[in-house]
Amino acid sequence: MKLYRTSTVLVGVLFVLLGGLTRLATPEKVYDSENREIVHGTIGETLKYRDSTITVHRMKVAKAYVYNDDKPVETNGAFVAVEYETVRGTEEVGSNDATLTTDDGTEYRPVAATIVNGADFAEPGFARSGSLVFEVNTADLNGLTLNFVTVQFWTVLTQDVSVDLGVPDEKVAQQLVDTAAPEYVIPKSVTRVA
Amino acid sequence: MESLDDVIDAMIADRVIHRHRRKWLIALALVVVLVVVILFTGGWKEKKGRTVDTVDAPTTFEAGRYEFGVTSAQIIRTPKTKYDPAKARVELSFDVKNIDDEEHKSNSLSGKMVLLVVGGGEDPIESNGATCRGAINWVFVYGLPAESCTTKFEVPANFTGDKLEFGFLAESYDSDIGLLGASEDPYWHNEKAAMVVRVPTTTTTETK
Repeated sequence: MKLYRTSTVLVGVLFVLLGGLTRLATPEKVYDSENREIVHGTIGETLKYRDSTITVHRMKVAKAYVYNDDKPVETNGAFVAVEYETVRGTEEVGSNDATLTTDDGTEYRPVAATIVNGADFAEPGFARSGSLVFEVNTADLNGLTLNFVTVQFWTVLTQDVSVDLGVPDEKVAQQLVDTAAPEYVIPKSVTRVA
Repeated sequence: MESLDDVIDAMIADRVIHRHRRKWLIALALVVVLVVVILFTGGWKEKKGRTVDTVDAPTTFEAGRYEFGVTSAQIIRTPKTKYDPAKARVELSFDVKNIDDEEHKSNSLSGKMVLLVVGGGEDPIESNGATCRGAINWVFVYGLPAESCTTKFEVPANFTGDKLEFGFLAESYDSDIGLLGASEDPYWHNEKAAMVVRVPTTTTTETK
């Protein structure tokens, strides 16, 4: 039997070309992770998340949080509360995980009380406001950044949102901790027409 | 052209196969029956016995990305009421600290990481995670001091004991084998038994 028939060689060449094509197809922008495009922004900025938007309105630091008229829950560190609003476009948004990261590489996650642990979206055409509360270490707040990381089952090209919460150095962090409110009442999520 | 020898050989082979066929069939049937019996009686479980140290409470030790400080335990009985049957639960009081030096990541303690070791060859009972400051499923922050928490185990209503044993599992920070396409970045997984703690236990009856 002839090992190198013309068709065999052709198929081989085709595979090599296909490999090259997929290299060409990878996006030109440099992403932090190959399959994640990160939209960066600051507090108050309306950020695109596919055809929906996320706006972080304010950040608050508190020594305790209150949820659903329960007893206040205290901490050895502090609680950082982030209030956001989302406007849902027509595209599917899936779900996302919210994290707070610092310059030291620490990752904080929302407290379990609020059940939702990411930005919550309403039906298409509606806006929803929500609040996420994170327990944090007061000595590790530099470069505090809020991230909405899209949860995915298959690794495909997706988009994340990253919001700079404006804590550039220790002085600002200390100030935030010093002026922390004694209590943060977690507001109820509100849905309205966008 | 077939020779006579070939024909005779074929005949002998035929006989041999036929002579042993029933034995083979019986052996095969036995294997199938054995598999079915083992499956229906709850599978094959290897009982290894205890492979980790047993220590007395109070004690503090590290297990994976947590540091546990075990203090006391309680059996709480709920008597039978008009609508509910009698119930019992075991509550373990322990301190939990996140010592995740690898990822510096907040994490909540999964219920299967703390077990009530019943003994007598029975499966251990899983906890319900850590309840701290009145909030269930507490998310432990790296860098903060240890949090005093409790965890709950559902036990039969007639459960007794004055020295209960609790098993703690530890995850390890390593990566999967990338050969089959899995990411080779390490992460916390592969939980293994790390420590058994013997805790003096009091029994109380809860009245509503």
